[in-house]
Amino acid sequence: MSRLLKFNIFRYNPEDAQSEPHMQEFVLEETDAMTLFIALNRIREEQDPSLQFDFCCRAGICGSCGMVINGRPGLACHTKTKDLPGEITLLPLPVFKLVGDLSVDTGSWFREMYTKTESWIHTEKEFDPEALEERMDNKDAVSIYELERCVECGCCIAACGTARMRDDFLGAAALNRVARFLIDPRDQRSEKDYYEIIGNDMGIFGCMGLLACEDVCPKHLPLQNQLGFLRRKMGITSLKRLFGK
Amino acid sequence: MTIVYAPAGKSGKWDGVLDWLQMLSGASLILFMWCHMLLVSSVVISPDLMNAIAWFFEATFMAQVGGPLIFVVFLMHFVLAARKIPFRMDGQKAIWQHARMMHHGDTWLWVIQAVSAMCILVMGSIHMWVVLTDLPITAAKSAARIQGGFWAVFYLFLLPLAELHVGIGFYRIAVKWGFVKDKDRPRFKRGENIVTLMFIGIGLITLIRFLFLATN
Ligand code: HEM
Ligand code: SF4
Ligand code: SF4
Ligand code: FES
Repeated sequence: MSRLLKFNIFRYNPEDAQSEPHMQEFVLEETDAMTLFIALNRIREEQDPSLQFDFCCRAGICGSCGMVINGRPGLACHTKTKDLPGEITLLPLPVFKLVGDLSVDTGSWFREMYTKTESWIHTEKEFDPEALEERMDNKDAVSIYELERCVECGCCIAACGTARMRDDFLGAAALNRVARFLIDPRDQRSEKDYYEIIGNDMGIFGCMGLLACEDVCPKHLPLQNQLGFLRRKMGITSLKRLFGK
Repeated sequence: MTIVYAPAGKSGKWDGVLDWLQMLSGASLILFMWCHMLLVSSVVISPDLMNAIAWFFEATFMAQVGGPLIFVVFLMHFVLAARKIPFRMDGQKAIWQHARMMHHGDTWLWVIQAVSAMCILVMGSIHMWVVLTDLPITAAKSAARIQGGFWAVFYLFLLPLAELHVGIGFYRIAVKWGFVKDKDRPRFKRGENIVTLMFIGIGLITLIRFLFLATN
């Protein structure tokens, strides 16, 4: 006999003037290898077609299914019900704009963040489509790849106490993004250029080291190590700037 | 290269320097707290030892100059670190809600740090004032104060609050600046917890020793 799972799900439709934020209960029989992706789809099909939530790849790749699962931000498609207690509370990710129920708009946030951090290679070199690609040290390529694995799910932002207290805080995904360009030899920006972007309390010096980002990231990005690396780099840059070098 | 940055005009020229000062003021206070523990708990070995150490600090003017200096560092650290504490109601509500939602140890540690900080600000100031306006420091005078009852209770609160704040601060500096990497974090945290408990233990033993010390 499989478990009966009790779901408490946040319901609110900001488009509907009648709608009030509230929690709604659903009961569902657990099946083998059930993920929250499967559970939510069954609830929508069998019990309430108006339930809103986001999914796309159902394999932890697209990053669209981030939500707060029993208090912790995580990917719904990545979470097996057998790892959870019989009562499961689902909330939308805080910080991001609510679309409705469990669905939030992470896209606009990341779009704005990429503009703010100028998240592209800055170079004066003329691009020659005929030429062979420039070679890069394998070690650099591997470290860049490691940081590129971010799926932009927004869990690290929703889990960050600093981001919740201050809405101008860039957050771990953004700082990780800057670290990715900082180690990229093709990007000609200097440390002082990066200081203009993250060398302030909205950036790396705002981070209080609560490490919730590190602990929730479903892709296990090395956020703690990157934040430490950036703080040291930018800390040293701040002293260099102070003494006018 | 000319780059036009989106967050224009928000250069944090001083933010980096302030972060250094926050860390360094915290670190010097940690160092101070360790020395402080050495001085005070030496009474457990012998009151004469404590008197000798106190005498040394005064003969070298470290108490007269160092004491007020520590107080200045203490206030500086308060001003710097308080930049991170939400004093407005919405910020307070956000962090409490967040901590309760997350069930996340390190987030709670920060809440403890901010709350203990406010208590230390008031109680630490009172304590420093009382001790530094009544030099020289002697084991007998301290014992008399504590046996009065009020100060015993006062220290019973201040001791764990201060040790928690110092312990968490030490851990935080290590992870924030990347001196401790992700792989070593669990072990480092456990070690830090044990050290904090040990310090609280030594502090309690010291208080008990003072309670039963002859005061003449
Ligand atoms: C005046 C009262 C105090 C207040 C209001 C205060 C406040 C704070 C706050 C809010 C933090 C966290 C800052 C952050 O997360 O960025 C902090 C960190 C810290 N505090 Fe205090 N504190 C006080 C006294 C002390 C004392 C007496 C000590 C040591 C004996 C101390 C040692 C530390 C250390 C080492 C840190 C970590 C520094 C860092 O993360 O950069 N504090 N303090
Ligand atoms: S370590 Fe920094 S970025 Fe990560 S959760 Fe904490 S404050 Fe936020
Ligand atoms: S760093 Fe991790 S938690 Fe943050 S957005 Fe990327 S994948 Fe998600
Ligand atoms: S559906 Fe794509 S990450 Fe969950």
